[in-house]
Amino acid sequence: MTDQHEDPKFEQWLKNAAKAYHTPGATPRDEMWKHIEEARRKRHVIELRPWLRWTVAAAAVLVLGIGIGRWSANQSSTPSATPTASAGTQVASEIDSLATVAYQVAATQYLSRTETFLTSFRTDANRSANTARLARQARELLTTTQLMLDSPAGDNPRLRSLLEDLELVLMQISLLNPEQNGRDRDLITQSMNQSNVLPKLRSAIPAGPVPVRTEGAL
Amino acid sequence: MDESQLIARVRAGDSAAERALYDAHVDRVYRLAFRLAGDDALAQDFTQEAFIRAFDRLGSFRGDAAFSTWLHTITTTVVLNGLRKVKRLRQREADIDDAQAVGVTKRESEPDLKMRLTKAIDELPAGYRTVFVMHDVQGYTHEEIGAALGVETGTSKAQLSRARAKLRIALADFAGEWTT
Repeated sequence: MTDQHEDPKFEQWLKNAAKAYHTPGATPRDEMWKHIEEARRKRHVIELRPWLRWTVAAAAVLVLGIGIGRWSANQSSTPSATPTASAGTQVASEIDSLATVAYQVAATQYLSRTETFLTSFRTDANRSANTARLARQARELLTTTQLMLDSPAGDNPRLRSLLEDLELVLMQISLLNPEQNGRDRDLITQSMNQSNVLPKLRSAIPAGPVPVRTEGAL
Repeated sequence: MDESQLIARVRAGDSAAERALYDAHVDRVYRLAFRLAGDDALAQDFTQEAFIRAFDRLGSFRGDAAFSTWLHTITTTVVLNGLRKVKRLRQREADIDDAQAVGVTKRESEPDLKMRLTKAIDELPAGYRTVFVMHDVQGYTHEEIGAALGVETGTSKAQLSRARAKLRIALADFAGEWTT
């Protein structure tokens, strides 16, 4: 049965005509494969970066230290409680929060680097800074941003929204065209101003030295 | 070697098998990404991202459906999410351009059929456009589209029908082309 809206002649004509819609050329398979291999290698490298290992280890020691300290304090102030059960619960909860703290440390480090980069980009926006260098740095930060979005740190709605804004700005900078450098930079700077991304970024970074300023940050 | 053996070798860390699996599917993935994105750089980015995700998550592929179906589910997710981000980005740039170029007359619509058709397809709602491109342009079946987009086959058919109806209205000036 033919639906009243169907018109085989039109559909056939449309199919033929639509073949010209966004016609792809030959698949650049080798070029894309090179990027895929590179990106996968980089991901592994990022996972094993020494600063991340050290910050995770430092966070682990810090959390366990706090946990033991609190547990000892509770032991001496409340002798009538069931010490084994409460201490066990507390240590379990501290260990649970260990992974979260580790991601917060990593997030804080990343946000600080991004803040430095964007501040420097905006400051240098009217000067003849090296476009290729800026684009390369933006690409590196963009990769980290995308990893952060996929990590547990991206589960925090406030941080996720900020990361999405940063992803857009970094994508723009990574695509900077050296031939239209001035105009592109103006557009990016205006876009940054409109989205208020730098103030949002700064408010997400807690005060204090970078490696330890995580408490209540995110 | 059949595909399940190839996948097993990829899981075991065989890089030659990874490349073989990529070679077997990259054309279809890239062509779909290009048709939907309309831009080579974006199509390449989306294709790369789809394969990176597929290789990273191959451990979760249970083989209930064909590998190509699973890969196309990842591809359509990557492309549609990516296009949404690009749209946001372009909208921001357009807002800035509009603010800067007050009084500039917008270009009139193109009389040329190819450009009119492209414009009409671009302006379809995202869901209709995806189904139309996958079915009428790239030749996917409704079953494949349903699996890739996570919708019922009937939904895919309905969206295609609505897409065609909208295109018919948008291209009414060219009715002589298909009635003769």
